[in-house]
Formats: sequence, C-alpha cells, structure tokens
Amino acid sequence: MDVNQYMGMFLDEAREHLQALNRCILELEVSPENHQLLDEIFRSAHTLKGMSATMGFHDIAEITHEMENVLDLLRKGQQQVTSGIIDLLFKCLDFLEQLVEAIVSGAAVQLDTVGLVTRLREAAAGKVADAKPAAVEAAVVPSAAETVMETSHVDLNEIDQHVIDVADQKGLNAFEITVTLSEGCLLKAARAYLVFNALEDFGDIIKSVPEVDEIEKDNFDKSFTVVLVSAEETDRIQQAVMAISEVEQVAVKGLAAGSPAAEKANAPVQAAAKEPGTEDTASSVVATTVVHKSKVSQTVRVDTDKLDSLLNLVGELVINKTRLDQIGSTHRLHDLVETIEAMDRITTDLQSVVMKVRMVPIGQVFNRFPRMVRDLARDLAKEINLVIEGEETELDRTVIDEIGDPLVHLLRNAIDHGVESPRERTAAGKPPAGEVRLVARQEGNNVVIEVIDNGKGMDSEVLKRKAVEKGLLTQVEADRLDQSEALKIVFLPGFSTAQAVTDVSGRGVGMDAVRSKIESLGGNVEVDTRLGQGSRFTIRLPLTLAIIQALLIALGEEKYAIPLSAIDSTIKVNMSDIKTIQNREVILLRGSVIPVVRLEHELQVPEKTGQENEELYIVIVQIGERRAGFLVDELIGQQEIVIKSMGTLLGGIRCIAGATILGDGQVALILDVAALM
Amino acid sequence: MADDQQFVAFRLGGEEYGVSILQIQEIKRMTDITRVPHTPDYVKGVINLRGSVLPVIDLKTRLHFASSDYTDDARIIIVRFEEYSIGMIVDAVSEVLWLPADQIEPSPDFVGELEAEYIRGVGKMDGRLIILLNMENVAAI
Repeated sequence: MDVNQYMGMFLDEAREHLQALNRCILELEVSPENHQLLDEIFRSAHTLKGMSATMGFHDIAEITHEMENVLDLLRKGQQQVTSGIIDLLFKCLDFLEQLVEAIVSGAAVQLDTVGLVTRLREAAAGKVADAKPAAVEAAVVPSAAETVMETSHVDLNEIDQHVIDVADQKGLNAFEITVTLSEGCLLKAARAYLVFNALEDFGDIIKSVPEVDEIEKDNFDKSFTVVLVSAEETDRIQQAVMAISEVEQVAVKGLAAGSPAAEKANAPVQAAAKEPGTEDTASSVVATTVVHKSKVSQTVRVDTDKLDSLLNLVGELVINKTRLDQIGSTHRLHDLVETIEAMDRITTDLQSVVMKVRMVPIGQVFNRFPRMVRDLARDLAKEINLVIEGEETELDRTVIDEIGDPLVHLLRNAIDHGVESPRERTAAGKPPAGEVRLVARQEGNNVVIEVIDNGKGMDSEVLKRKAVEKGLLTQVEADRLDQSEALKIVFLPGFSTAQAVTDVSGRGVGMDAVRSKIESLGGNVEVDTRLGQGSRFTIRLPLTLAIIQALLIALGEEKYAIPLSAIDSTIKVNMSDIKTIQNREVILLRGSVIPVVRLEHELQVPEKTGQENEELYIVIVQIGERRAGFLVDELIGQQEIVIKSMGTLLGGIRCIAGATILGDGQVALILDVAALM
Repeated sequence: MADDQQFVAFRLGGEEYGVSILQIQEIKRMTDITRVPHTPDYVKGVINLRGSVLPVIDLKTRLHFASSDYTDDARIIIVRFEEYSIGMIVDAVSEVLWLPADQIEPSPDFVGELEAEYIRGVGKMDGRLIILLNMENVAAI
C-alpha cells in the first residue's frame, strides 16, 4: 500500500502535536507540579510515536519513545521536573520539528539522533537507580488502555448481558466477532473503522475490546473483538467483514443469552487469566474513555481549494438570485418575488457561513511565539514576559498563512533592539524583566495586531543620523522629516540600527520586508515610540481578502471597481476647475494641489461618441501620504464585491488588481490604485 | 480505432481547424466580454464562466487573419490546460470527428515559422483538410 496518500494527514497532525507539546512544556516550566500537563505531554508524544512508526519514520519514533520514558518517570514522580529536563525536552522538540520539516522538503537532515537518545536515556536512568528497576521497562506501555489490550477478550458486564438478553427476547442474536488484520497493515484504525461501519449495517455494536476510542487511536495489536446484536446469520456477517481489504481473519461466534462466562474459552488473543477485580479495571477504563471523548472536537480537515470553490459557487448562486429577482419584478410575478425573498435570506446566511468557515483564529500563528521568545530571551540574556491577548481574533485563512513571518520579525526586533538587558533596565529604574505584548483585536472590517514593548524606544534623531550615514537619505531630506516621518525610516530597505549583526536580527533586510508583506496583504503598518518607554508597531489588516467594499464607476460603457479602502472622497467638478501646472492636470482640494488622472486614457477606453460632459466626477484616492484624483464619467455606487483572480495568463497586468462579477453576471475589473497614481 | 483521435472541427474564415476533444472543456455561445487594458490585441478580454473569470482570445487575430464581426454562429471554445482554462472565439463550430492517426500529416513546409508554431499537423478527411492546432502555443499569451 502507498503511504503517500496519508502523508498530508500525518504532517498536519504531527505539526499539531508538536505545537501542543511546545505549549505544554512551556507551561510545565512554569508549573512543574501540574500532572495534567504531564499527562497531556505524554499523550501527544505517544500519539506522535505511533503515527510516525506507522508511517515508517523511525527517527521520530525513536526520539518520542525515549521522551516517553523520561516523561513517564516525571509522571510517576520518580523524577523531578528540572530546567535541565525542560531544556532536554525542548531539544527533542527541535529535533522532531526538523525531522518533520525534512519530510516535507524531502531533504536529508544530519541530526545527532543517537546523541539525543543517549541523553534521554541518561536522563531516564539518572535518578531511578534506586527505584524498582522494572519501572524503566514498564514505561513503554504505561497507559491504562494498554493494560486492557493484553486482556483482549470480551468480558461482558451485567449491563451488556442484559442487552443481549433483551435482544434475544426480540429474536435477535448476539455475536462475538474477532477481527484480525493482516500483518503490516498501515492505519489499522482506518481498517477497523471500515469494519465497524460494515458491522453497523447489520445491527448494533454493544461492546468492543479494546474500546472504540483506543481503536481509533491505533492502540491495539492486530486484532480486536466486538459484540454485535443482529438479526443476520453468521455467514453473512463473516463475508461482509472479509470483504474489507487487509482483514486477515474473522471469527464470528454466537453468544447465548444468560451465560456470561461460557464464551471465554474461544477468546482470540492469549487469554490472560482473569483475576478477580478485572471487572473493576474495565469499568474504570470506560470512565476514562468518556473523559477523553469530550476532548476530541468534531472537526473535518478540508482543503482550502475546496473552500474557495464553495465560495465561488455561493457567489454564483447570489448572482443568479439577482437575475431571478429581476425577472420577478419585470413580469410582476408576486409568488416568485416572495420565494426569492426567502431565498435571499438563505443565500445571505450561506455567504456569511462560507466566509466564516475560511476564518481561522490568529492563535494558530501566535502559538509558536512563546517558545520563540523564550529561546531568544535566553540567547540574549534578557528577561522577557510575553503577553498575548486576543488570540481568538479571527482572520481569513490566506492572511493567517502570510502574517507569521512579519510578526516573527517584529517580535525579534522588539526583543533584540527594544528591550534592554536587565542591568540597563535596573539602571534606568525599570523592573529587570521587559514586557512584550502581542495584541490582536477586530476593528470594524479590519484586524489590528500590535507588537508593543516597554524597552528603550527609538530616537528619531539617531534614526535620521543613521539613515544619512548609510546614504539612504541626504542630510537635507533628513532635516525636513518630522518625528513621525523619521520613524518610518526603519522601513527603508537596507536600514538597521543594530551595532553588530547578530543572528537574531540586525541584517537590515527585515523591516522593509515586513512592510511590503503587509501591504501585499492589503494592510499597513505604523510605528509609534516614546524614548525610554518603548515602541509600538501597529499592523492593520483586512478581515478577508476575498470580499471587499468597492466603489463602482463607469467610464463610457465600461464599469470598474475601486477598492473603498483607497478612496478618500468623491467630488463633482466643472471642466474649468481642472488647471494645469507644467502641463500636468491638477485640481485644488481643500487648499492642496492634487494631480488628476484621466482613467479613460490610462485604461485605453475606446473613444466615446458625443459631447464631453461639462460636469465631471473625481474620485480622490489616497495611498499612504500620496493622493490623486481619478476622473470618471459616472459614480454607480458602493458595493461588496468578491475578488476573483484573472488566472495565471492575465496576472500582473498594469493598472488592474483583479476582477469581480457583478449582479448582472458581467465581469468588472478592479483597479490597482497605486499603479494608476 | 486505437490510434484514432477525436477532434472538434470549427471554421475560421474559409478554413477548417481542429482541436483535440480531450482539451475542450465546453463550447459556449458568444457572451459579454469585458475588455482588459494593456493586453495584446488578440486578447478580447475576460468572461464570467459560472463564477470564474476566464481570459478569451480572438483566434483569428491570434493567427493573423483579418478580423471581422462576429455572427450568430460565433462560439467560444473553452480549452482546458493543467493550470488554467482559456476561451477562444471561432466563426462557427462544425462537428466532432474521428481522425485516424495515419490521416494526420505534419504541418506542410510552406507555412511560415511563426504559423508552424501553432500548427500540429493537417488532418485529411473525405477530401477536406483540417488544420490541427497546437493549443499550448496558441494559448500562450
């Protein structure tokens, strides 16, 4: 069988588990006595081990296996959580991350796995010499669930027996079905699921050994046993199960009502002698399973491409609804109009649900920062408290994917350049630990993300001097800048204030990359600072890239959309209001001179027939500090539009940012305001 | 039959052309085309194909024919490639036909180098000549 088809799933889940491990170990560092955390860490490591072994990634399996040994000792209290152990665990995570990413890139990584494993073994052996020696070996199979595995035959409790009795009275039979999967079966859980599915067609499964939960987690050997209540014949059931691939053997056995113990003789897996009290173990397992169940959230992984096409379809539905609407009103069909009104509500809901489906909490990006900040602070011998707020704020998936790197840069800068060393801070009368705050919140149709530090802040005079030294500005230009303009120097390409280039930041490629990334996402970034008190970087991003507010305008017969975010205002002028300065057309608006752009010229609109209007509309657009006036024939109105790509063939056309489909099904082009100014 | 291929035949001016049916997604009547500025003259613009925006080229202009107005017979043939689809306007679609492989000849020598790039071969059928297009090159805008 080909494992590649499960690769995507494996990678997604592996990353999730690594993320969870990172978070938990960070928390553990703060509260080493928290046993729940240890359990969670253990579970994640265990799952990761199982998954990677199935997929054949033995390095990962080996490391997680050794991690488990150490974790188990911690769990049992035979070892204390020390900073050495935490570091070691983090080291493991780094290794695992690199191994997982190496799978993605297909590159071979040379990691000292052996060294790490040795260190883990030493850590495991370190303080347990006096503990019972069996503990180390037992550490491999520690969970309660696996104890059940060993006694993998069906012990029917009273309730089960009662169900069988009742079924018997109704003329239904109970079967004990033992399914053995073939050697080398990958994704046993998936096979087992198919078996369960097939069996549920015949009747009800009232019990399974191991528990369904454990089976789902792959926590079983080759075989499992279920009790099925059904009206079917033994043969039919056996055939149905055998029809599933990779099932090696199926043993179906009738269970008689009222005789609980009689069936054990034929139990498929080596029946460990049942000791008194096993019954209790079994029921306690049931109890834990219930707890586990509530933790598993009901989610489905969906390819974003599929979501995109769903969004497209909904858009198409809306367009067709508008057409129906028009037919209804032209032909005065009242019944139709009423129906369409109902449909209107549904499509509006549908649209907002689809948009919401694409939204992801920004916590997904924030999650990886605590670890990064911790490591960075350590490397730089600084004390940093990272405060994260608003991680539940939601953003479109596409934005989420892109925003991580810029934030990493801003955080690194805040820690490297912003926050001072503890000694400097104490000298300045501040608490030795600096604070870096990462805050996200929604403001209208925007999401605002702020990176705030209480470090030394930036000196605009220093910034100016550096910029001149590096030849980015002339002295004259620098002198003309006011405070807020001077701060923008940090975004200039090639600017860096670090005295020495460290591996953290200071290569001077960061901030301008940050700005261009954010602007490419349709957002902007601002900086504010107080000398001696800290700096604040504010990123403003659109909630979604797929739907924007736009102003529709007409140029002759053609319609275009201008993103509302770029529009300052619209004005009506007379031909005579347009003046020229050195042959460039300009208008005066509230005392400032604004260049006029004749869109029909820039967009090669075919010549209009007829007289030119005396009254004209001008759309004043603004990007950053620059403003321009677009001369248009008509303002059609403001509208929400769905941005569509024009495909690879027509990508990157000058002056055009994309296309959208209007209510009447026509395509309108979206103007690239910055390119037209 | 093994080597036979199915083609959609269509008219451009007085000539008959063909495109492998495997490359064709659908054939549409003429529809509103939105002009796109700053593109070559053979790019007529973009259309709305059930919610996606697709570029459309005028095949006659593309193949250096004199362009003429579209009649009611004019159709947009949507050709699909791995990464994208594109529409091309033709004068009329005539039929779907089978061409045996031995009835397809490489493009004749007398066509210019530029045209040869667009032509995959010439199919012969009952005395008709059908010029088979190399869509990858035709669609490369």
